[in-house]
Amino acid sequence: MRTMTRVGSKAQRPESAADAGQEVRPDPTPRRSFVFLGALAVSALIPRAARAQRVARRRAAPAGHAEDANALVPRESIAAFTEWDSSVTRLVRRATLGITAGEVQHASSLGYQGYLNYQLNYARIDDSAVESFVQQKWPLMSQTSDQLFSADAGQVRTQLQESTIYRAAFSQRQLYHRMVEFWSDHFNQDVDKVGYLLVADQRDVIRAHALGKFPDLLKASAHSASMLVYLDQNASRSVAPNQNYARELMELHTLGVDGGYTQNDVAELSRVLTGWTVQGRGNFVFNPAIHDWGSKTVLGVTIPAGSPAVGADGIKEGEQILDMLVHHPSTARFIATKLLRWLLTATPSDTQIGAIASVYRATGGDIKAMVRAILNDSWLPAAPMKLKRPFHYLVSSVRSAGPSVSSVTPLNGQLGVLGQSLFSWDTPDGYPDKIEYWAGNIVPRWSFGTTMSNYNSATTIQVDTTPYRAGSPDAAIDLIDQNFYGGEMPLATRSGLSSYLKAGTFNDTRVRETIALAIAANAFQWY
Amino acid sequence: MDDLHDADCGCQEYNELSRRQFLAASAGVSAAALFPAWLPKIVMSNNYASGRDIIVSVFMRGGADGLSLAVPFADANYYASRSTIAIPQPDSSASTHGINLDGFFMFPQAMAGGAAGTGGLMPAFVAQDLLIVHATGQLYVSRSHFDAQRYMEVGKPVDPALVTGWLGRHLASIPPLKPDAPLRGIGVANGLQKTLVGGPKTLPIASPANYSIGGSTATQPQRLAFLDADYANADEPVRSAALAATDTVALLKSVNFAGYAPANGAVYPTSSFGRALQSVAVLIKNDVGIEAAQVDLGGWDTHSAQDPLAGSMFNTMRDFSNSIGAFYADVIAMGYNVTLVAISEFGRNVRENGSRGTDHGRGSVMFALGKGIAGGRVLTKNWPGLARENLEAGQDLRVTVDYRDILAEIVQNRLANPNLGFVFPDWTPTMLGVTR
Repeated sequence: MRTMTRVGSKAQRPESAADAGQEVRPDPTPRRSFVFLGALAVSALIPRAARAQRVARRRAAPAGHAEDANALVPRESIAAFTEWDSSVTRLVRRATLGITAGEVQHASSLGYQGYLNYQLNYARIDDSAVESFVQQKWPLMSQTSDQLFSADAGQVRTQLQESTIYRAAFSQRQLYHRMVEFWSDHFNQDVDKVGYLLVADQRDVIRAHALGKFPDLLKASAHSASMLVYLDQNASRSVAPNQNYARELMELHTLGVDGGYTQNDVAELSRVLTGWTVQGRGNFVFNPAIHDWGSKTVLGVTIPAGSPAVGADGIKEGEQILDMLVHHPSTARFIATKLLRWLLTATPSDTQIGAIASVYRATGGDIKAMVRAILNDSWLPAAPMKLKRPFHYLVSSVRSAGPSVSSVTPLNGQLGVLGQSLFSWDTPDGYPDKIEYWAGNIVPRWSFGTTMSNYNSATTIQVDTTPYRAGSPDAAIDLIDQNFYGGEMPLATRSGLSSYLKAGTFNDTRVRETIALAIAANAFQWY
Repeated sequence: MDDLHDADCGCQEYNELSRRQFLAASAGVSAAALFPAWLPKIVMSNNYASGRDIIVSVFMRGGADGLSLAVPFADANYYASRSTIAIPQPDSSASTHGINLDGFFMFPQAMAGGAAGTGGLMPAFVAQDLLIVHATGQLYVSRSHFDAQRYMEVGKPVDPALVTGWLGRHLASIPPLKPDAPLRGIGVANGLQKTLVGGPKTLPIASPANYSIGGSTATQPQRLAFLDADYANADEPVRSAALAATDTVALLKSVNFAGYAPANGAVYPTSSFGRALQSVAVLIKNDVGIEAAQVDLGGWDTHSAQDPLAGSMFNTMRDFSNSIGAFYADVIAMGYNVTLVAISEFGRNVRENGSRGTDHGRGSVMFALGKGIAGGRVLTKNWPGLARENLEAGQDLRVTVDYRDILAEIVQNRLANPNLGFVFPDWTPTMLGVTR
């Protein structure tokens, strides 16, 4: 500990530090390239064996080796546990919302590429059991906006949240639902503001195109009553356009904030989009009467002045700009970067971004092709771990614990306690996927482990501990390892859990407590 | 951590910083990312460890319309620009008239507890404990919520290498108020707000009254022991958070939240913002060692239906002013050493749009409350006015005071932290007489 302090002090206080209050100004350039090099190093350059060795040393002997784990390692690049040595199990962790023993077995039998193809060709996976359960349990989810108009708003919200949790946990189309989650954040909307309209958006925009073509997805979103209401596009009129949707369309949906547009482009695009609005019970319409027919210039492209006589064809101005946006090189890079961050690493390298952006350009924004390229068997096994967000954490607990479920209501409540009540992030950037945002939110997770393992009701959720108690305590720990960790539970966690289980009477209560700790343990927070 | 003694410094917090730095590095998080390599030598002496203020920082997320929060009613251009959402002057016979502040600015009734103007933030203003700063914000131009919020919370624009927040760096560069406090900073939120990132012993706790790992009381110590050991080798920032969490569970268990009776007749609204401020009040009065709290209030992105006399903007302003008004009566007016600040990422266009709302703009207002704040006035610096030729880009109230000038003076004079160059890198603040 003494060594540790000295090393730390030296590192944080340069010899040349000026006197109190006077800062030593940094030269930002070398630091940025440091971080960049670090990203490359972790994701590509360091051989696997060497990386594993470094991790092992770090975990075994935290003191006295500060110089090894130096600042070259970028933020949020956290090497995977040494126990995670199967590539195909890493793919299961990354391509699903949580491990089950069965999923790992299935993936192993198909092999890395075989399992990736299986998940990508999601339409071939029979999901009829899950879909018919959803239809029967949450009937509002099959209704049109016109029907939902008169439904109870609280019911709509609850059914939307619960059916989303259920599908994520029990659908065999796991990678598809990882992408549904991703696009739900990319095109985030708050159910408090849009109400029943969100049902159609989730169904006809997000779920319809989650592994389709990005241009189709973006255009569906631009015609979604829910999105237009969420970003006030429905309230925009030629006399005083509302810029909310026009801005986020470029900043969050396509080009990215550094994608090369200006405030003037926002203002001009908002004029182009006047008339894109919502009528009646969630019907998209173009209303020529409130369209601005003057000439506009967006991103250097001029749309000449038109006249009201053009009528309904005035929508073509907006469609022209949407086409331009989906074909813009900034969009290819922005979508590539976000997909890499979601599926691979918080700090993708320039090379990786370039590679995936070129897949976007070559395939016309084919999402499946980009996902396939990202989850390749050389990048993923070398990728850092990511921290599960609360939704992912909750769903993965359910998948691993394998309870019988007849009601999702308790889980939906728990997700709120964990801090990620679905469709309730009120700003259009979506729930953060940042480790520094979620890392401190740890006690609710520990508490949820206890709640989850104690579900024992035939009418809601029931975790059966019989299989865990069928053999010895060691066999119970083995089964926990298989079900929750795919057989790759870190050794230290395993020995801690084993000690805990054996320190009490081997019964239902103690087994449930041990499962709770397996869910609460550090290694279960990552994927 | 008694053995973490540094002979060069001799103060515990310095070592805390060092230890975190080391742990961050050893755990694979870039130390440089958490604390810059150029970290200046930090002044750490204990002689200002007592008597300094606790800070409560409120972020008004969404871009709050400063022209509705503190209305420049004497500027005729205000009425010309807001044909449907303007608030009538204080001496107007309309029932919705504003409440005069200084003959130029006024509160809408939603900020002052109604037509009589005796509630909301008015008592704090009258007692000269509330300072309103107008035409303020950040000098760097961004009309993106997310960039503008990030830059403000970090305390510096456009520096991808700087990931800690200004309040986190404040905590990291000053000795704790209570040497053994397990929890120094709290974000009353599900996730840690950027403002607090980098703060030692700082956690997001959405509901401090229900902070427990659940399950049987009998086995709780053993289960906590397992978790403590299991997370001891976790990667940063999870490791530090987990260790702070186990200590904090014990701490908050000892605090009686349910039986809390606010002082001074204060009534907190039952909104989540009101409850959050009440939780902070409970922690402050229980003297648990909290030094900084970050509380957020959303609902300010009023592209439509901004009518300040009814509806969503009205409700948000009322929630804001009644909650802070209750906190003022319950805590600040009772003499606790607390400063509260409230900021937003930007203001909104001077002219309303076609949907009775306003789009993203620039200058807005800031609020500072405390016994050490030179309040009872609206502070402006060369008020630019609302005439079109004086607007930024022809549409927005100019930013004449950088928000860091206000915060830096509070950090130095009320929080007794002289390390302004660390809290606000690359910024030389101008002191405007914010504090007494």
